[in-house]
Amino acid sequence: MSDGGKPDLTMSEFVLNKLEEVFTKLKRSVWLFHLNTGSCNGCDIEVLDVLTPYFDVERFGIKLVGSPRHADLILLTGPVTIKTIGKVVRAIKAMPRPRLVLALGSCGVGGGIWFNTYATLGGYPQLEKILKDAGVEVDRVVYVPGCPVRPEAIIYGVAVLLGLLQPKSKHRRVSAVEG
Amino acid sequence: MVKFLKMLSISVREGTATRKYPFESPLVTPEFRGKIEIDPVKCVGCGACTRICPPKALTIGNEGDEIVLKYFEGRCIFCGMCAYVCPQKAITVSKEFELATWELGDLYDEIVHTTVKCRICGKPFTTVKFVKEVEKRIDNKVPEDLLTVCPECRKKLTARKIGSKVVGVSGE
Amino acid sequence: MSHDYSKLIDELSRGHRSRAILSKILEVCGDSVLDLSRRNIVIKIVIKANCLRTALENIYKEHDLYLRTIAASDERSREGLFKLYYVFGIDSEGTNLVFEVPVAEGVKVDTISDLFRASDWYELEAHDLLGIEFNGRQMSRLVLPEDWPENLYPLRKEVSVEELKKMYQPQLISRVSELGVEEVVRIPVGPYHPALHEPEYFELYVRGEKVVDARYVGFMVHRGIEKLAESMKYDQVPFLAERICGICGFVHSTSYVQAVEDALGIEVPERAHFIRSIVLEVERIHSHLLWLGVALHLLGYDTGFMHAWRIREKVMVLAELLTGSRKTYGIDLVGGVKKDIDKDKIPRIKETLNVLRKEFKELVDVAMSVPQVKARLTGTGVLPRGEARAYSLVGPTVRGSGLARDVRKDYTYAAYHYVSFKVPVYTEGDNLARTLVRVDEVFESISIIEQLVDMMPGGPIKAERWEPQPMRLGIGAVEAPRGEVVHVVLTDLYGPYRWRVRAPTYQNLQAVPIMLKGVDLADAPLTIASIDPCFSCTDRAVIINLGSGSVKTLPIEVISRRVRGNG
Repeated sequence: MSDGGKPDLTMSEFVLNKLEEVFTKLKRSVWLFHLNTGSCNGCDIEVLDVLTPYFDVERFGIKLVGSPRHADLILLTGPVTIKTIGKVVRAIKAMPRPRLVLALGSCGVGGGIWFNTYATLGGYPQLEKILKDAGVEVDRVVYVPGCPVRPEAIIYGVAVLLGLLQPKSKHRRVSAVEG
Repeated sequence: MVKFLKMLSISVREGTATRKYPFESPLVTPEFRGKIEIDPVKCVGCGACTRICPPKALTIGNEGDEIVLKYFEGRCIFCGMCAYVCPQKAITVSKEFELATWELGDLYDEIVHTTVKCRICGKPFTTVKFVKEVEKRIDNKVPEDLLTVCPECRKKLTARKIGSKVVGVSGE
Repeated sequence: MSHDYSKLIDELSRGHRSRAILSKILEVCGDSVLDLSRRNIVIKIVIKANCLRTALENIYKEHDLYLRTIAASDERSREGLFKLYYVFGIDSEGTNLVFEVPVAEGVKVDTISDLFRASDWYELEAHDLLGIEFNGRQMSRLVLPEDWPENLYPLRKEVSVEELKKMYQPQLISRVSELGVEEVVRIPVGPYHPALHEPEYFELYVRGEKVVDARYVGFMVHRGIEKLAESMKYDQVPFLAERICGICGFVHSTSYVQAVEDALGIEVPERAHFIRSIVLEVERIHSHLLWLGVALHLLGYDTGFMHAWRIREKVMVLAELLTGSRKTYGIDLVGGVKKDIDKDKIPRIKETLNVLRKEFKELVDVAMSVPQVKARLTGTGVLPRGEARAYSLVGPTVRGSGLARDVRKDYTYAAYHYVSFKVPVYTEGDNLARTLVRVDEVFESISIIEQLVDMMPGGPIKAERWEPQPMRLGIGAVEAPRGEVVHVVLTDLYGPYRWRVRAPTYQNLQAVPIMLKGVDLADAPLTIASIDPCFSCTDRAVIINLGSGSVKTLPIEVISRRVRGNG
């Protein structure tokens, strides 16, 4: 199995150091703000599910807050429709540093099934460019694929973001061999 | 009036409903559709999966002298249609959903195919494995043109053949 | 057209209502009717634009019609003009009446928004997306952003998505808020209010504590679905349709495949019908439990919210077992389904349903006995029956006001004609009535699934093969948890030529200002929630620009505190 595109050791060290640096500033559990940028609500009801007794993320001290000014982490769902861009940028700008974003679902990660329509930007990677132009810095982003995202996948994503678990996904490039 | 206190007895009876994930395994039924796995041995690079994929998470295209099938987990909607249509049954749907990562590039799986080049224009137009599979499935010998000439050049060839029969213009 | 219409009318009518309507139309519009035909339950009348209004004026009052949807389509490449399809339903007969109106470019059509108040948004949308002009009414932007360029109509065939992306660059628009005026204070609820988990914007005009009027400014979830589907193949669109709404997605995908099957005359195997009906009912249970949880949360009874969602979790696991995914099931294909229900799953289904029935009954008994719940639900947000009929509303919203309208009974589809079930109807029209309608529907759904599972026939689950034909019209309607979903499809060779989605919230939202009049401010979010709004279903057509007007912004926590009570 040939290996291509794997981040080399210095890169991942740098990433882990940055993560540590970011998280030493946090002295308490992460507080979430849920931002719906025009999603179908599938991921949103799974986010609510994470708060209900079955998955109960509050046992980690994580809670949902009503304003981005109190939040550490924004749960971003939806492919970022052109109608909501202004509000999304303002909501992210209102977060105090360090700013963390969890891009949920296939819409948030790559625009999903809407990646090529006239009315959406195409997910967080496209939004990142607009945020940079507006001078809004985001310290860490984690992408969580799924459609809709399972509540367990959201918990896994938060754990990866906080450095508690290592991500399993790795870029793979193999040659198609003969049978 | 005090009937609503009955909720306490319900809560006591149910106990703790919480699944202690990630310290416990997740409740995934045997039917769950997670990420797909493409078997590089069975895949022939026909591209049927890329034509049915609704969000175009599966794409196939030329990269220099090779044809590469790319699977982007980030945009996948986990519908399983690729597994449904694959003629070689090379795609299986796994139960993997723990895919979160901060590196977008880690969400790509790629399969690289060696190609057959057009004998006229030199452009790689199909994969070696696909040609072999077509030969295997069709009992009669496949016309040589279909296996070594790319679609654009084939159109020109056919046009010249027809033209030469009609107006007596000498062709290939 | 010959003048002896009586034989033709006899052939086409399905009952005395449709006979009376057809006679009236032919009487007043004789020569303007270009064609009259019927296929199954759809009677199609091709009528000239100049006589449409006359025809409708004569029939709207006397005969119990309701407007299901209006679809505008760009057929200039085929026939040189636009077409408007007005789809009406005659409940008592289960007949669809479709008026096909050819509209040449530049021709203005008379509005019918004073006759059928529900047509207001449809006409604005037809204008926004295709540029069709209407006489006799105010036009305004409904769906596209404020700064969308003039004369750029996204759904016109000559405009490609790349062109649209180039011609409109989204800007960061910032709203300047000013202080409000007069004795009327406007309080915005949304977007991103924690109680309403979707981006939408209601302006409530209050005098003291009572709401005097409300305005909905939304359509933030417009993603350009209808344009996207025109570039897709037939079997890719069900997955797109499912993502119109994550809560009632399966309804949309079933409605789409039913519309295509209707247009092309595809025979769907019986087993597929049964599987679709079972999954539809599972979705109904999950949606009503979700709604109940949210409603209890808005009333301040969070314990009820948690228990409702705990019970709902069992339904999600059942759905995953049957279809492969907790939500956005992805099993619909044109001609059938792609996943079977094996015999060994049936005991699991029955066991889950028994537990569900018992626990849900307990929950409802306890929740209704909580004093604040019943007191806040009774008497608030009243929707009079006359208004419900005039606005062509659908779903539990209208069944709580005494109108027994349900697609499963009136225009029956899938396997519903095999099972016996009641349609719960309450007459008070307040929030409590709508709650009880939904509670009863859950019990009915459980009983329906049990009947279906016992009667399931064997056989294939998908039609073997089918041939696409161009330009056939098909209508698919399904009863979603929120009301009626109608899809209109015009076929083409590889995919749909035109696809029109009408979700129930689109229709029901137009009645929210009526329900909110005279309501206490604290009850407003609950009243809005009682129509079970699904904004992603509504906003799928167009992007809307935020209206203008100065707005006084109050901290959202102020409203929340009033809402929660002693939560």
